[in-house]
Amino acid sequence: MRDRVSRIAAGLIVLAGMVASPLAAAATYQLTVDRVTIDTGDFTRSGVGFNGASPGPVLRFQEGEEVTISVTNNLSESTSVHWHGLILPPDQDGVPGISFDGIAPGETFTYRFPIVQAGTYWFHSHSGFQEPDGAYGAIVIEPEGREPFRYDREYVIQLADAHPHSGSRIFRNLKMMPDYYNRQQRTLLDFLEDAETKGLGAALADRGAWGEMRMMPTDIEDLQGFTALINGHSTEQNWTGLFAPGERVRLRFINSSAMTYFDVRIPGLEMTVVQADGNNVQPVVVDEFRIAVAETYDVIVQPKEDRAYTIFAESMGRSGAVRATLSPRENETGAMPDRREAPILTMADMGMAHGDMDHAAMGDGSTDSGGMDHAAMGHGTPSGGAMDHAAMGHGAMQTPASDPFYAPGSGLLPGAAEGGKFLSYADLKALSSLYEDREATREIEIRLTGNMERYIWSINDVKYSDSEPIVLQYGERIRFKFVNETMMAHPMHLHGMWSILDTGQGKWDPAKHVVSVAPGTTLYMETEVDAPGEWAFHCHLSYHMDAGMFRKVVVEGGPAASATELAEHPEVRQEENQGERLR
Amino acid sequence: MFDCNSIAKSILSAAMLAFAGFASPALAAGSHDGGHGHGGADIGEPGDPAKVSRTVEVTMEDIYFEPETIDVKPGETIRFVIVNAGDFVHEFNIGTPEMHTAHREEMMMMMDHGVLEADRINRDKMKMDMGNGQTMEHDDPNSVLLEPGETAEIVWTFPAARKLEFACNVPGHYESGMAGDFTFPAQQSSR
Repeated sequence: MRDRVSRIAAGLIVLAGMVASPLAAAATYQLTVDRVTIDTGDFTRSGVGFNGASPGPVLRFQEGEEVTISVTNNLSESTSVHWHGLILPPDQDGVPGISFDGIAPGETFTYRFPIVQAGTYWFHSHSGFQEPDGAYGAIVIEPEGREPFRYDREYVIQLADAHPHSGSRIFRNLKMMPDYYNRQQRTLLDFLEDAETKGLGAALADRGAWGEMRMMPTDIEDLQGFTALINGHSTEQNWTGLFAPGERVRLRFINSSAMTYFDVRIPGLEMTVVQADGNNVQPVVVDEFRIAVAETYDVIVQPKEDRAYTIFAESMGRSGAVRATLSPRENETGAMPDRREAPILTMADMGMAHGDMDHAAMGDGSTDSGGMDHAAMGHGTPSGGAMDHAAMGHGAMQTPASDPFYAPGSGLLPGAAEGGKFLSYADLKALSSLYEDREATREIEIRLTGNMERYIWSINDVKYSDSEPIVLQYGERIRFKFVNETMMAHPMHLHGMWSILDTGQGKWDPAKHVVSVAPGTTLYMETEVDAPGEWAFHCHLSYHMDAGMFRKVVVEGGPAASATELAEHPEVRQEENQGERLR
Repeated sequence: MFDCNSIAKSILSAAMLAFAGFASPALAAGSHDGGHGHGGADIGEPGDPAKVSRTVEVTMEDIYFEPETIDVKPGETIRFVIVNAGDFVHEFNIGTPEMHTAHREEMMMMMDHGVLEADRINRDKMKMDMGNGQTMEHDDPNSVLLEPGETAEIVWTFPAARKLEFACNVPGHYESGMAGDFTFPAQQSSR
């Protein structure tokens, strides 16, 4: 079967070479999946990588080309490669049990699919815990036409959260004791401080509420103790990108972490965000941005001074951080900024903010009013009453922010460390629309649910192993309503089709492949159902996905599009796409 | 929201200084003062249409210029025909990099005040009195601000050789590369 496909492919390549065929150039790529040694400087351990290294290579494709990628499994267990964010036939998507059977030890699987998009993406194993163990790499796709932006250099900046424990050991530990890796638990001393600042009754009531949720206010990162990496380098190993002063440099940020969101800044430089999840956006100038697990953001910076600049990525829960350097010369290190204090979740993150928090009343930073004074959880300005995020202990430079994609008063509300603008989902506007804007034909509610005590993560209170697939019909436009009933942010990833995030911009709503749903919030995304077949749909936090926050999506009807048919009739899919997609 | 206002206010006051011409030459030269004669950089001046040596067409796309370099000679007068072929508002502005940096603050203020939207210009709002008799009109001879599909002309006489750029200062555009160089003969041969 596979042989037949590759022979047909070979025939087509010859044909393309002889006549002016619409078929673009085809290229062949080779990957091996290998046992590798991961050395972060803090620890050394055995992990999984591609072509003998973790991270794996940067695969560079050209929009319009037909790629053939042979993947050889050198492990002693089954493996797979998922092309994260790529639009491709369902049997090429690389999810064992849904797209195919996986790649057995010693076997080679040949992927073959057309490249129908451009931008920054990545690839990773979708088997077991190989991805947290190091099996990830980057994909950069050059567009068919010219780039709409102009820059002198570009670098991939791939973030990860390498852990000294193997993925399977971490999962075992979390199942046994969900707070196994939480080193920021509140102590008796914190409680006494609470009692002092807000009175014993309030402190007790507060504790009671958290107990009922089976969560703790420090449950932001359920996996701590990791070493944050940029392109496989820890802070000490100092990954460095060179520039000449005055050049524009494009940085392609990819968050390949298992569990960790990062807040990213380059002190002394503004960053112009030009792409999110592979799709160009109307440029927006920011001082800092948050990248959820599995998202990508491309920014352009213009360092003008003849000095080293620091790329600083601090984990959202502040339990880890990594520095890389942009420098005119080798062997320089950017200065290490001070780490910010760990944020503390609030009642708003529990979804308990029943509209009694007046957003407009915030921001003066001087109110002493009581009410929702959980924000004054013993850190920052003691008098910070109400829901004053400004008083969240990050110093005066912090921009008091509001962001419609966080619960009002959320402890996770981001603010720029050095002041200025922090990117919000609300700022993301497509540069050009992938689809005509239209009413959704159906709404599906997805409640993100969990039982922290047993480390069960689920959708609509049902974990994957007990669930039925979500069935969609080809041609529908589905409006997904995500209701996050947990206290953690979940980066939701639908395979095979775009997730059009509702930011209220209509035709400019950005098409993404991951949408992060903050605690205590409801978020909408719409999907044009244009890809028949079976697809994965899950939270991209590795251990949440494995615990059951996962669904199979089945798209019924429409033209079947397997790799074989595509190879034989490449024009069929192209014509179909022209009808619906604007580009 | 309150904080947005205070930020806007500080930008506003800085920009009003620029409008009033009290600020540093670099800031004041941010295209709202006719381009030269304020002790700022000599970027040339509006040219005499009778002395035009040639016409250069510049297309503004999303988010780049075509062409991205234009060769010029000192003292030469060129007619620029500028076409916005994109889906968004774009600017063609002749100036030094410092002038463009200063002008971007004004453009940001225009966006904050709803004068400028991604794909349209609310020209009626430009005449709004900013409180000191100054307005946000964008009518300087060294620049044009165009909606999608619009076309305009600038006749410009170039100064002696110096670092000079044409740029789109709509927020985010210059930063992502929507700028080009005017190159003078010495710079041309060194390329």
